[in-house]
Amino acid sequence: MNKDQINELPLGTSPAFAGMHKWLQRGLIVCLTALVLEGAFTFPLLAMWYGWPTLSLQEICTEFERIRFSDESRECIYPYPLFGPAEGAGQTTARDQWGIQPKPQYKAIGYRELIQRRNDRLAAQTTESGGEP
Amino acid sequence: MSYQTTTIAGMSGLDAHDERSRQAQWQADKWMMSGALFLGSAVFGIIGLPLFLRGLALQLKAQKAGLTVRPMMVTLIGYLVAVDAALNSIGWALDMVAHHTLLARVFLMAWGNMFDAGYFWHYNELWIGGASAPGEKAWEIALLPLVFSMRIAAAIGFLQMKRWGHQWLIITCWFGVVAWTGYIANMTIFADVRYTGVVFPVIGWWLYDIFYITPFLALPYLHSVNREIFSH
Repeated sequence: MNKDQINELPLGTSPAFAGMHKWLQRGLIVCLTALVLEGAFTFPLLAMWYGWPTLSLQEICTEFERIRFSDESRECIYPYPLFGPAEGAGQTTARDQWGIQPKPQYKAIGYRELIQRRNDRLAAQTTESGGEP
Repeated sequence: MSYQTTTIAGMSGLDAHDERSRQAQWQADKWMMSGALFLGSAVFGIIGLPLFLRGLALQLKAQKAGLTVRPMMVTLIGYLVAVDAALNSIGWALDMVAHHTLLARVFLMAWGNMFDAGYFWHYNELWIGGASAPGEKAWEIALLPLVFSMRIAAAIGFLQMKRWGHQWLIITCWFGVVAWTGYIANMTIFADVRYTGVVFPVIGWWLYDIFYITPFLALPYLHSVNREIFSH
């Protein structure tokens, strides 16, 4: 590194660490950009995967709750009472292989699968009630 | 405006240079601070990015014009640490105190089912509400009010080129290393709870979260930079 290059180094960076600082700077720019993009797009993309806007957020919440607790009678209560007990407190329906390493029995939810799941249930209910919605 | 040719009445050359440098830095910081507020809010991040980049460009311009402004690395680390801590705080604050809101029960459950079932498995079943995965609540309580708040405070001092800012950023970035190590170890030990029935387990989680490795990028700089520049 010649004298001119040393003079051009950023304040606080010595020649010995110039290369490392350059690579760290590139890493910082990548991280900052990625965090911004993740922050901006995670919620809308997740909402779409799980069925929005076909399903409302409350309907998605209900489907999640039914899967989580393996209980088709559950409804997502919203707004939830401010000082009420935790919504799942005392539940006995969730399925796990219990042990020192509990293993849940629910399955991962595929792309837009919650819509199909809800439609199937509504269709079954209609059939059961003899065509009456 | 030409930074070098503008003179300030009644000031020596050095004082005038200092004053012009301070003004240029403040002008750039106003853009970057407004940008960072949006960036830290996650959903409005896309609005913040151009504001932040405009501030960064102003600082670069001042630097090229020969003014004494903050080194680019200090600017990037300071703002990235603050934004990283703010983003972490949003998700965990939702889980700690807003676990029964519709937003938490859709967003956190969706994120949990997609990447990490610590935010799905038996959610909202503990008396304290929120995530029930072993150890998760303890990490939230330790990291949210302590580490992330302290990291944002340290980042502000660091951006102001204060000695305590540099020192406290080192301390809180080492907290960050402890947090990463402990959190990953906890997730790995209870991997069945975290990754069973998840759409993109393990690799998906890493691809999503790897960009939060800020402390590992900041620490080598913090320990190798000439600390005498932090003299305010």
